[in-house]
This record gives sequence, C-alpha cells and structure tokens, in this order.
Amino acid sequence: MQKLAEVEDIQHSESAGNAGNAGNAENAENAGITGDHGNGDGTAGTDTTAGWRAVAAATGPADRAAAEEGLRLAYRGAGLPEPERIVWAGSPLEAVGIVRALGDEKGSSVRDQVRTRPWADERRRVHDALGPGGWTELWSNTGARLWDTTRSLADRIRAGILDRLAEAAGIDPSSDDGLEDRLALETETRQVLLDAVLGQHDAAWLAAFDGRSERLEGLARIAAAAGWWWPYEKTVVICERPVELHRDEAGRLDHGAGPALRFPDGFALYAWRGMPVPAAFLDELPSIDPARIQREENAELRRVMLEFYGYDRYLAESGARPVHKDEAGTLWRIRMDGDEDVVMVEVINSTPEPDGTYRTYWLRVPPTTGTAKEGVAWTFGLDEGTYAPLRQT
Amino acid sequence: MYRQGDVLIVPVAEESVPSHIADAPDESRDPRGRLVLALGEVTGHAHAVLGAGRLVREPGPFGPLVLHLPKGGKVVHEEHAAIDLPRGWYRVVRQREYLPGAVRIVAD
Repeated sequence: MQKLAEVEDIQHSESAGNAGNAGNAENAENAGITGDHGNGDGTAGTDTTAGWRAVAAATGPADRAAAEEGLRLAYRGAGLPEPERIVWAGSPLEAVGIVRALGDEKGSSVRDQVRTRPWADERRRVHDALGPGGWTELWSNTGARLWDTTRSLADRIRAGILDRLAEAAGIDPSSDDGLEDRLALETETRQVLLDAVLGQHDAAWLAAFDGRSERLEGLARIAAAAGWWWPYEKTVVICERPVELHRDEAGRLDHGAGPALRFPDGFALYAWRGMPVPAAFLDELPSIDPARIQREENAELRRVMLEFYGYDRYLAESGARPVHKDEAGTLWRIRMDGDEDVVMVEVINSTPEPDGTYRTYWLRVPPTTGTAKEGVAWTFGLDEGTYAPLRQT
Repeated sequence: MYRQGDVLIVPVAEESVPSHIADAPDESRDPRGRLVLALGEVTGHAHAVLGAGRLVREPGPFGPLVLHLPKGGKVVHEEHAAIDLPRGWYRVVRQREYLPGAVRIVAD
C-alpha cells in the first residue's frame, strides 16, 4: 500500500491546507461514493482524482524500486512467477525497439493476466457493489475527468512512435509505395503497442478503483512510479517518465519553444494547442514576419503562425482596420489569399491585471460574423439578441 | 446571465429544466467543498461555486452543465472577481473558438 498511501498523503495535506472550506454539511448529501477505507465526506472522488491527475502528468525520473516492487506484486497477484528480468527504457519508442529485439526469449505477453483480467473482475465487483447508478456516479467523478486528456496523450505517443519508426525506415508516406510501407509498418507495430500497459497514463481508470481494490495495488504502484510497460512471461520492459511535458489549460500538448513532450532518450513530440507540428517549424517561428505568414500554404500551420506572431501585431503591421465596434469588443477581418477570411473579436478582460492594466485577448469566430457582439455571443453558442451578461468579470 | 472569463452562466426557468436532471448523478465537490464549473489543467485554477446546491453534467443541448442553487451562491476564480448568483437554475457554457472545419474550446 506504500505507493498509494503516498498519493493519498499528498491529497490529505492539500485538503488540510483548505480545512476552513472543507467539510460543510451539505457535502454529506453528495457522498454517493464511499471507499472501503470509509472516506465518507463526499469529496473522496475529486480528492483522489486530483492525485491521479498529478500521476498522469508526472515528469522526472521513475521511482524504479517502487515500480519494480509493483511489477512483482502484479505478477504474484496474477498467479505468475515474478519476471526474471526487468529492462528499463528511456521512452516508449525505445521500449518498442527493445521488445522487438528480445524476440522469443521474453516469452508470451501476459498483459491479459496482469492487467486486463484483474481490471475486468474488479470493475464487475465494484459495479455490482455500487449498482449501475453508483458506478456511473463513481466513474463521472473519477475516471471520466481524466479520460480524455490521458487517452489523447497516449494516442499521440503511439502516433509519434509510428512516425519515428517510419522516418528511421526511410518511408516517405507522400508516395504511393511509401503509403503502403507505412501501413505495413503500422500493422507490424500494432501488436507491440497493444501489448503495452500504460503505467502513469492508466491514471484515469485506476482513479476509479483507488481505495477500493487490493487486487489492483501492483498496477497502481507502477502507475505512480513509471511510464508504459510491457509484461511478458520472463521479461518486463518498462519506461521512464517524460522529462518535459507542456500542456495548455485544456490539457492539450502545447509548446512554442521546443518539444511539448520529451523523454530522457530524446524521443519527443511537438505541438501547438494540441495540433502536431514539425520540429523545424517551431524553430522558424521566432523569425517569421507577415509576408512569411501570407506565403504559408498549409492553412493549419498559417493559423499557428498567426497565433504565435500575435493577431494584434499582425493587424498593426499589415495595416488592417477594424470592421465593427460595440460594447462587446472590436471585430477584425484579415483577407487571406485562396482561403477563407480570418475574422476575430478583440475583447478586453473585465478583471484588471495585478498592475491595474486590462489584458486584451482574441477569439476567432466564423467568417460570416458581422458584429463584435454577434461574435462573442457565438463563442457561447448564443445569438446576438440573447447574449446580455448582467455582470462580467 | 453572468460571464466569468471563459464561462457563461445562463439563468433558466425551473419548468424548462429537463425532468431527467432530477435523477442524474451529481458532480462531486472538490476538496474545498466547491462545485467546479471548469478546471484549468495546468494552473489548477477553477471557476467554482460556493454554496448549497448541485451540479449535473448534461450531455444534451441543455448542457454541458446544469447548476441548481436553491439559496443562491457565489462563483469564484483565482484571476477573476467573484460574482454573486441569485437562487435558481442555470446552464453553464464554456467559451469556444472557431477553427475552419472545427471548433475548439478556449483555454485562457
């Protein structure tokens, strides 16, 4: 229980710091979920979820001793002999290479025994104990909150592995032959990727069982200590965590000055607000000018350039004039050769910054937008006539 | 209606609230006992409501979140001034941004 206990300790100290706000009486009404450990204050769901959110985003060296202890526990729990060998990899990409190089000597995959079956059994047990409504409530307050961001991160890592392997094999997917080679590579690599257990990126579903399942303790300890791992009869290949992870507030990979995700062996992903971009493209960003932005033929990259350069700077330097002004803000339109116009509302924050100034921000709206208010109303799914905030901060 | 940063809180008449909301599971409160309308993944800053009531995730067009404050409440955020909310029912809407061929949520 050591590793889980540590995660819980972090959460408890966080709640202790906010003791003044915690424990109000109406919370008891929300206590639809109570763990085996009898935490009935109704905040258990979000409390543990915050800890697992941190696990999913953890960077820095793995706690190898804790992870290896978790591995042995998971094997024993599945009724298997402990693995003979544990091989550490710098990234999931390197791990895929090691798994392939090991060939038959590693034995068959035991992912089903150590991960899938215990998970399915525990899910059924907790589902039966809580009933369908209770399970739905537990899931919506735990796993569901982490699901989208962890799943999309894992998908991006898989895609990045395939890209690097294709590059290494000299495959050019823009040619017909290249496309075929790429598909063959994907088919061949898919099985290795399917053998992986996601460690820290399994945080979403592990959050739902926190404090409820002794049987998943090994998996939970590994997740809290390391990255992806590949369980085979004789050998486990297990990865370090990333050394760098940059995301925006929505949880999407996002970094304008270098990799958004980087592992210690150098395997890296580059992205701007979730959109994958080539590494060389980011190197060029600091030196672009409006002429370069206009010349860019890829509409997605041009949008990234505009966002990075700053709409305000671009508008000032290209001599654009506002199309419309009202109480909601200012509407701007940039003509784009061979593409739809970029139409944006410029809005001023209603709450001043600590220095007393008001921050301006820009929101892109549909090209059919005619007024600033119509644009702002659209950003909230409303039409101009119904958008009327009584107070805004 | 009330706007705090990228979150819009729109009052709705009680009779227009879909009846299945009554049986829908509540979103649990955060460790500080608040109803969290939106949480920043990186800063952890949250648009959060203090006060008695319930928050329900609603996948239909009435959503994505429905807030009921039988005694009124207050919405707070680390970077925005607090707003008092009178008692009643609300829809909570996140701000979105246009992308050609798609829409993405705003992350401020």
